[in-house]
Amino acid sequence: MLSIPSLKKETKKKQIESLEDPADFYIPLSGYKGMMEPVVKIGETVKKYQLIAEGPNIAGKMHAPVSGIVNAFTTIGNKAFIHLINDFREIEIPAPYFDASQINLEILQQTLSDCGIQGAGGSQFPTHLKYTIGKEKINTLIFNGAECEPYLSSDTALMQYEISELLQAAKVLQNVLGSPEIVFGIEKHNKTLKTLLLENAQKIQLAVKVQILPDTYPQGGELQLIKSITKLELRKGTIPSQYGILVNNIGTLRAVYDAVFKSRPMIERIVTISGNSTSKSRIFRIKIGTPIAHILNLNDNHWNPEKQTIVMGGAMMGKSIDSPLQPIEKGSGGLLILKKLKTAANNCIKCGFCIDVCPQKLMPLEFVRHNIDDDLKSLHSFNLQDCIECGACAYICPSDVALMENIFEGKIKLSALAEKSLQ
Amino acid sequence: MKTAPFIKPKFNSTQKVMLDVVLALLPIVIIACFAYGSLVIIQFLTAITVALLAEFVLSAFLLKKYNTILDGSAVVTALLLVLTLSPLVPLHIVAFGAAAAILFGKILWGGLGKNTFNPALAGREFMSVFFASIMTSSELWKTKGFVKTPSEQLLPAADHSVFSEYLSAMVYKTSGAVGEYSILFIVLGGLYLLLRNRISWHIPFALLAVFTLLLWLPGGTQLHYSTAGLLLGTIFMATDMPSSPATPNGKLYYGMMTGLVIFILIKGGVQFEYMSYAILLLNAFSHQISIQFRPSAWGDPTDWKQKVEPVFNLTIKILGAAFAVLSLYYYDLIQYVVFLYILYLITKFNFSFSKKINNAI
Repeated sequence: MLSIPSLKKETKKKQIESLEDPADFYIPLSGYKGMMEPVVKIGETVKKYQLIAEGPNIAGKMHAPVSGIVNAFTTIGNKAFIHLINDFREIEIPAPYFDASQINLEILQQTLSDCGIQGAGGSQFPTHLKYTIGKEKINTLIFNGAECEPYLSSDTALMQYEISELLQAAKVLQNVLGSPEIVFGIEKHNKTLKTLLLENAQKIQLAVKVQILPDTYPQGGELQLIKSITKLELRKGTIPSQYGILVNNIGTLRAVYDAVFKSRPMIERIVTISGNSTSKSRIFRIKIGTPIAHILNLNDNHWNPEKQTIVMGGAMMGKSIDSPLQPIEKGSGGLLILKKLKTAANNCIKCGFCIDVCPQKLMPLEFVRHNIDDDLKSLHSFNLQDCIECGACAYICPSDVALMENIFEGKIKLSALAEKSLQ
Repeated sequence: MKTAPFIKPKFNSTQKVMLDVVLALLPIVIIACFAYGSLVIIQFLTAITVALLAEFVLSAFLLKKYNTILDGSAVVTALLLVLTLSPLVPLHIVAFGAAAAILFGKILWGGLGKNTFNPALAGREFMSVFFASIMTSSELWKTKGFVKTPSEQLLPAADHSVFSEYLSAMVYKTSGAVGEYSILFIVLGGLYLLLRNRISWHIPFALLAVFTLLLWLPGGTQLHYSTAGLLLGTIFMATDMPSSPATPNGKLYYGMMTGLVIFILIKGGVQFEYMSYAILLLNAFSHQISIQFRPSAWGDPTDWKQKVEPVFNLTIKILGAAFAVLSLYYYDLIQYVVFLYILYLITKFNFSFSKKINNAI
C-alpha cells in the first residue's frame, strides 16, 4: 500500500478555533444521492437550527446554521443552494426535550435523521441509514480515526480536545446497539492519543479498544479499515452490518453527540485549513454553508485561482473549487490552498506502481486503456466498479497519466449502460 | 478543473526513473571504458548520439512529438545496447543498431511505453541479422590484444589461489561483452535500482532461482554461459518496465519462464544470444502474463482452480515458442523472424498505432 510523507506537521497540534460567522450562507441542496427541496420560502425568516430543506431518505436534511432571512434559491457552478442572510441575532428554535438514557435504536434512527447527520469523512452518507440494520446484530462498532488524507488533522483535533464528547456519544451508540465491542482505529503517527482515549473511557466506565493502524494510504477507507481491525476483507458494495460491523467517522460521532445530548442538528464541523501555498494552517469549527472566500479572508489567505488550487476536502480525494462562494459541506474535512501542480502527461510505461498501491487490488492502467477504447465490457471485467476513487494510482504514476479522469469517465459510462439495461 | 489528487511525490517522474537507470549503469559503463579505452568510449558516444538523433527526428516525423528526447529513454537504450556488444563491433554497425533500436524498438510502436519488446535487444537483433557475417564471426570476441587495463594491473592478486582469482573475476575481468566486465558493479547497480524502487525483486529473483535450480539438475552443470551476461540481462533488461508484466505475480511467473527459456536455449546450443532470445520471447507474452496474473479485487474470493488451466495453456505456448526459436536458430532462419517483424510493425503502425499516438497507453 501507498505511504505518503506526512504533511500534517503544521496542523497536528493545533487547537480548534472558532470562526466568525459570515453574513451570507449558501446551504447546499444536493444530498448524498438525489436533491433536497427547500421547506422555507424566499423572504421567510428562519431561526437557528430550524429545518430548511429535506429530501428523500437517502438525500438528507439541512438546518439553518444561524438565524436570518432566506434570500434566494441559487446555483453556484451547477449545484443548487439556499442563500441565507445572517441577521446576527442568534435566535434559536427551542431544543426539543430528549432523554439520552431512554434512547433505543428506533429513536436513535429518528434523531439522526431529524438532525441531518451525514458521514463527516467525506462521503456524506446519511448516518441514520447506517443504523437501519434490521435484525442484524452488531458485534464491532468501529470509530474511524484514521485520517489518512495527508494534510488533514480535523479528526485528530477532535480526539485530542473533545474526547469526552466523543466517548459519551460512543457509549450511547454502544447501548443502543446491544453492547458491541468498541474499537477506535487511529494511525501510528497518532499513537499518543491511545492513552488519552483509554483514560477518558475509563472515567465513564466505557470499555474501548484502541487499535494502532499503519500510516498508509488509504487506511481510512471503510473497507481497508475493516480489514485492519477485523481481518475481514469485504467486497465494495457489501453492507458491513451484515457482517456485524458498523463504522462511523470521528467527525460523525461528534455530530451524534450534539444530536443525542443537545437535540441539535448538524450545522457545523471541524475543518483543517492548510496546504503548501499558505503559511497559515489552522483548525476551525465552521458552520455548514460558510463560503470559502469568507474563510480565506479571515485566515489572511485570499481567493487567487490563477496562482493556487483551492481544494475542498483532502489533497488526495478533494475537489478543486472554481467559485469563492462555494460553501463548506457536511463532508468537507479540509480547505487546502495548494500550489498549482505541473503535470507531465507522458505515456504509461507499465511500471505497475498503480497496481502496487491500489488498495482495492485493481489494475488502474487497464481502466485508462479500456476507457479510451470505449470498451465497457473490459471496464466491467477489470472491476472498475470496485474502485473507491482514492487517487493513490494517480498520485504515484510517474507519467502523470490521467488515471482519475479516465476512471470517472469510465464509471459514468458504466452506470449509463446499467441504467439503459434497466429500462 | 483538475481532478484529485492535487499533490504528487517528489523525484518520481519518468525522467527520474530513466536517470536512476543511467546512474545504476554508470559504474558498469565506466569500468568498460577503463578496460578498452577509446574503443568503447567511442562506441558509447556513437550509440548515444545516434539514438538521441533518431529519437528526435523520427519522433518529430512519425509521432509529431518534439520533446521526447527529454524523457531520457533513448540514452538508456543506447547504453544497454552497447553493453551487450563486443568492444570490437564497428561503429557504423553500432550506429545502425542504435537507430534500429529507436525506430523498430520504440517509435513504430507509438513511442515510449508502448513497445512490446525491449528496444536495446531489438536493436541488437537487427544488427545480428543485417550484419550477420561480422556480428557472428568469432573474430569479434578475440579482444585480448585490445585491452587497455588488464585485470592483473588493476587487481594485483597477492597470491594466485583459486579463491582470490575467483574474487578478482567478480570485481573485474576483461573478456566478454562491454557490460560484462564487473559482476560486482552489475549487482551494485541492481541493488541501487531495487532500493530506489525502480525495479522490483520479483523478476530477478524468480529468474535466477529457476535458472540455478535447473543448473543443479543432473547434466546441467556443463552448460556454457556467462554469469555477468546473465546478471546484466536479468537486472537491466528482463526488468525493463514497458516490456515486462506490471502485476506482482505476473512478474514472478515471467521471471520463472525467462529463467526456464534461457536454460532451454543454452541447453539447445544457442551460443551468444540466449539472453536476448529468451527476454525477447517472453516480452511477446508480457501483456498476456500481466493480465493472466492480475490480482483478485479486494474481497473477491480467489478461485485458484479457474486460473490453473489458462496458466497451463500459457506455459505450453511459451515452451512451444521457445522450441520454435531453437529450431529456427538450428536451421539458421532467425533472420526471417526479423523480416516478418519489420513487415508486421510497419503495417501495424500505418493502420493502427499511428492513430493512437496521443493515447497515454
